[in-house]
Formats: sequence, C-alpha cells, structure tokens
Amino acid sequence: MKIEVKQLSVGSGSSQRVLVQNLALKCPPGSITTLMGPSGCGKSSLLAAIAGLPLPGLHAVLTVELAGRHVEQLPTSQRRIGLLFQDDLLFAHMTVIENLLFACPPGTPAERAAQADAALAELGFEDMASRNPLTLSGGQRARVSLMRTLLAKPQALLLDEPFSKLDVALREQFRQFVFAHVRRLQLPTLLVTHDAADIADPTAVIDFEVLTN
Amino acid sequence: MSRASSALASRVVSFLLVAPLALLLIAACAHAIKSASHFDAWNALWEAPGLLRAIGMTLWTGLVSSLLAWHLTAWLLSKAFGQPWWHRFVRSLSPLLATPHAAFAVGLVFLIAPSGWLFRAVSPWLTGWTLPPQIATSQDAYGLGFIAMLVFKEVPFLLWAAATQLQRDDAGARWQREMWAAQTLGYSRAQAFWRVLWPQLSLRMVWPMLAVLAYSLTVVDAALIAGPGSPATLSVRAWQWLQDSDETSNAVGAAAGWLLTALVALSAPLVWRKRFGQHHSGYRAAESAMGAWNAGRMAWLGFLAVYASVLLALAVGSISGVWPFPSLLPNNLSWDAWRSVMSSSESIGMTVSLAMASSVLSLIWTIAWLETAPPRWDAALRPLLYLPLLLPGVLWLVGIHRLALVGGLAGSWFGVLFAHVLAVLPYTLIALSPAYLGFDARYQYVSTTLGKSRWAYLGQIKWPLLRQSLWSTAAVGFAVSVAQFLPTLYIGEGRIVTVTTEAVTLSSGGQRSLVAAFAWLQWLLPALAFGAAAWLGQPRRWASQAIQPLHLPP
Repeated sequence: MKIEVKQLSVGSGSSQRVLVQNLALKCPPGSITTLMGPSGCGKSSLLAAIAGLPLPGLHAVLTVELAGRHVEQLPTSQRRIGLLFQDDLLFAHMTVIENLLFACPPGTPAERAAQADAALAELGFEDMASRNPLTLSGGQRARVSLMRTLLAKPQALLLDEPFSKLDVALREQFRQFVFAHVRRLQLPTLLVTHDAADIADPTAVIDFEVLTN
Repeated sequence: MSRASSALASRVVSFLLVAPLALLLIAACAHAIKSASHFDAWNALWEAPGLLRAIGMTLWTGLVSSLLAWHLTAWLLSKAFGQPWWHRFVRSLSPLLATPHAAFAVGLVFLIAPSGWLFRAVSPWLTGWTLPPQIATSQDAYGLGFIAMLVFKEVPFLLWAAATQLQRDDAGARWQREMWAAQTLGYSRAQAFWRVLWPQLSLRMVWPMLAVLAYSLTVVDAALIAGPGSPATLSVRAWQWLQDSDETSNAVGAAAGWLLTALVALSAPLVWRKRFGQHHSGYRAAESAMGAWNAGRMAWLGFLAVYASVLLALAVGSISGVWPFPSLLPNNLSWDAWRSVMSSSESIGMTVSLAMASSVLSLIWTIAWLETAPPRWDAALRPLLYLPLLLPGVLWLVGIHRLALVGGLAGSWFGVLFAHVLAVLPYTLIALSPAYLGFDARYQYVSTTLGKSRWAYLGQIKWPLLRQSLWSTAAVGFAVSVAQFLPTLYIGEGRIVTVTTEAVTLSSGGQRSLVAAFAWLQWLLPALAFGAAAWLGQPRRWASQAIQPLHLPP
C-alpha cells in the first residue's frame, strides 16, 4: 500500500487547521507501520481519509495505491480497506455468527455459512455462535470484531487504537493475535497507538509530533 | 455513487420532502392572516365583552401550568436519573402518554367534581355532606382544576422528551459518566445533576418546553371540559367565534387566533430564561441518597396513582347505573354506554384508520428527513416544521381548512388525514431525532468498510438497532392522532367522527356514562398502540448466556 498525502486538514474557512502536509508512506504486504503522537494531531483522521470515511469537517488531498490500483476516488465500500476501532462495534442485535455472516462476501448461503463457521472455529468460539455479542468478554468481542473485518477480505488493514480498551494481559494476547493474522494474510497495515508496547516493527514508526513540527 | 453525487441526491430528496410541507404551512398561515386582515374584525375583538379577563385567564392558566410542569419535571429527573428505578420510571411513561388531554380532563372531572369520587370517599363520615356540595372544583373560576389537569398531562410529555435525550447513545452514557466525575470531585448527586447534567439537558429541551407552553396557552378541547367557564380562556372564545355560521364572527375568531399567537410569542422568552436559569435556582441542597430515592420515588408513585384513579373513575363511570351521592360505588351497573359505543363502531374504525395512516406517513417522512437532510437544513427548518405545534390550533386550522376547501378535501377522510399528519409530524420529529441523530456513526463506517451499501446498512444495522425508538415513535404518532379534536372537527366539517370528537362533544351534555366510555376508549386505543410498540420494539431475546472463559486459539 502506498499513500501520498498532499494535505490533510479539519474545519472550514478561517478555522481550518492543517494536520498533515506532504507525507509519503509505503506499507509493504504483511508490514505494520505504527503512527504515534499526541491526541488531536491527525492520526485517526489520516486513517479515516485513507478509508474514505466522511468525517465532518475532514478535508483530504491524497492518493492511496493498493495492489497496484488507485482507490482514493472509490467509495469506502469498494476500497477493500478493513478498519478496526477502539470499540469492537459488534452489532448488538445480531448473534456472533450473524455478525460474521454480515461481513462474508456475496455467495451462496452455504458458502457464506462455511466461511463464518471457519472463522468461528479459528477463534475456538464454535459454542458461541448463537450468543449475544454483548455477553462475550472484552477479549472475545475484540477477536470476533477482527475476524469480522478479515472475513470481508480486505487488501489492507487500518487499526485505530484497537488494543487501548483491553486490560494489560488481554492486550498482549490480542496484539499477538492481530499481528499473526496480518503477517499470515500479508496485509499492509497502519496502526495508530499511544502505547510504545504496540509497536510491531521499530523501523516502521511515524511520530506525528515530529512530523507536524 | 460518488460522495458528491450522493450528497446532491440527499439534498434533492430533502428538498422534495420539505418543499410541499413548507409551502402548505406558509399558505395556511397566509390564509389565516387573510382571514383576520379586516380592521373590523380586530375592532370587534377589542370590543368583545370580557376579552381582557379571557386574556388574563389564558396567561394565568397557561403560564402557571407550564412553570409547574417544568419544575416538577426537572425535580423528578434529578431524583430518578441514574437510580436503579430509572428504567422502570421511563417505561411507566407510556400509559401516561397514551392518555389524551380530553380523556384525562373528563376523568379528572369525574374525580374532583362535587359529586366525584374524592368527595364521596370522605362523605358523609368526614364532611357530613349527604348531597354534593355547591362548590366549583373543576371549571372553577380560578382555573385551578384546569391548571392541575395541564400539569398532570404535560409532566409525562416533558419527562419522555428528556428520557429520549438521556437514552441517546452519544449523550446519555457520557452525561452519566460526567455526573460520576462530578461526584468524585465532591459534589452530591443532586448537585452533580443541577450543575452538570441539567444545563446540558435543558438546552435540548427547548422545543418540548415551547410546545408545552404553546399548548397550555392555546388548548381548546381540554379547556372545554375542565377549563374555567367564566371567563373562558381566549382559545375557547376563539373557537366559539370560529364555530359561528356568521363570517364576521369567523374573522373575529381568526383575529383572536393571532392574538393567541402573540401571547405565545411574548411568553416564549420564559423558556430561554428557564433554560439558562434553572441551575442557579435553589435545588442545591445536599441530601442523602436514601432521602433522594424516597422523595422522588414517592412523588412519582403518587403521580401514577392519580392517573390510575382517573382511569378507574372513567372505567367505573362508564358502567355506572344509578349512583346517588355519597355512595362510593354505583347501586347498579349498566353496559348501555358501551353498547352505544360499540354501535358507533364507525367512529372507532375512523379513529384507528386515521391514527395508523397518519403515524405511518409521519414516521416515513421523519426517517427520510433525518436520513437525508443536511444538518444546516435541519437546524434552519425545524421552526417551520414545528409550526403546527407552536401556533394555536384555532389559527393554523383556519388556513388548512381554506386549503382543504380549495383542494376539495374538506369533509373527507383524506382531508382530515392531511391535517392529522401536519399535527403528528412535529411529535414524530421530536420523538425520533435524539435516537436517530445520536446513532453511533461508526456502525456505518464498519458496514461500509465491509463493502455494504447504504440500504444494507439501514435495513440490516441501523433500523433494527433503532427498532425500539422507531416503534415508540409510531405509537406516539398514533396517540397524537387519536387525541386530535380541532383538526378532525374543523377539516372533517362534522362528517368525520372519532372517539375524541364524540367524547368532547358529549362532555357538555348529561350522558356521563357515555362520555366516560368514549374517554376510556380514547385512552385504550393509544395504550394498545404503546403496548404493541413495546412488544415489537423489544430487544432481541437471547438464550441464557453466562460469560464464558476466553479460549485462546491454538
């Protein structure tokens, strides 16, 4: 994944604030690039712009090249960029398996069910298929959320502080779980975090504080 | 579809939604202005006997009831929010909201009239009375019974409006945490409420508060039943002028409608004053958690008891045969009134069909508007969309009636439906906006990054998650439609009869049982709608699920 940001700003008119200018990023498949820096410096806004999310007041002039094609003009739903938030955002009115099925690409019901079942089996959650996601523990929900994102077969992954709400023990487990999947699936990944312990590759860290200064 | 074309499509849809409505409302107001544009009409209005006393009574009953309702609402919220009984408290609002003003007014009169249950309960053993006392308790000269009726009816509406805000995904949980934060800083729970939560909540309560003020100053049906008769409120006088077959009197009625509008406009600054001033008032006394729990809960139970008594009085009144004073119960029971009600099944069918159609249409319109309208448009056009709520019914109906006449809809079901939709729309907007606009936008981001279309997101994620709010909004719309008196009578030209027009029309006669039966039915239909909404909107049921230990994958 190659990203070139000409300008990223928020606000309107005279209150417009430039967050990032002239930034070029290259994330090879299976690599995890970490974005760090103080709150409000534009890390999450950059992820939103890459995914094409219509955040209020966000203006982005950038190019995103993914698997040899430019996706910045495509609507979010066609970019094939997965995004994990701080909260798991599992749909509370769907069972665990229904949450997973929701993300499965179009296909016959049997094919989709097989994909969702395989994802559940990978998690070791076969007995939780019909559970209300809100009754799962935080760590379980985080895993289901990641699996849901991966089921949509993204070509890149954006992680917006997905570990920050987990306790220390779970955090380490989930971090390794995510990184293992990223490497196995060879997904170029951008990770926003405040915690240096989350850094997967010390040579691929962008400090936004330095960048904006 | 690119983002630019999607935004353009949203704007086009919003325009198509709002333009006809705005034109109709503006045309209705223009017609109402035209109706009152004769100098003679204003002259006749100023010279009408007792006008100043009617204005005084309108201001007295409207302002006092509104102020009492606001204060009681705020006080009850301060006691209930965040308490273990909060959810039960919110759930208990539905049957109260289902009670139309007119039905409550009839029931309250049954309860507090000289021959009502209250006096029967203490006679003759305490009072010595063997005949009803010659004192005016309802329709009293000071409007006290009317004020009590308005307070009891408006508090549940304001509480419900507050609850819709407090249960928003984005605000309610944050406010709860802010209150906890304030308490960790040394403030009592009550102080935290008045200093942290109320200033934020009251900002979002402006429209409901204005609606209560406008309603209290301009209501006709409940004022005909429980309002003072001498002098009557200005809205009742206006209604009487508009009912006259003489066009000159109609013009005086339209002028009185504009005068009522001026009274609402002049009183509106009170809302702003209350909005900003509340947290400076004297609610800051620290109190023990137990004391707060008891006072608030006891007050609310008392409130519910009054409603239960009113509905019981209506139920017993509808089947009472001979019932001499001071017997606590009727000597014999009679089902004659209910037989009469059932024989007029046309009015029940008409009520239900109008209520269902208007609530469904209003709900669809509201969803489409909230889904497509740019925030600036929404903010700018809200006052226009709320006009039917803020303008006196006697005024905007004059204009709507003229439009219905021009369109050949006067006296028809469609004409009345059209008027009901205009009356219901502001309520469905108020009801649905907090949940709809407060819906966590990240769900859409997740859905979109998973490759789903907007319709898939709406149909599979947003609307199912908002099911409870959508159904309860439909129930609110249904209840508002059932309660419509003026639009039904005026646009229906007497040819469209509903349980509400029957109840209000009969209330001035002597058929107590029949009035009670219709009034009870007026409550029953919306109550059934709220019950159905609660059932349909309940969250998905889950099998028993204990939290299980985390199994790590190999």
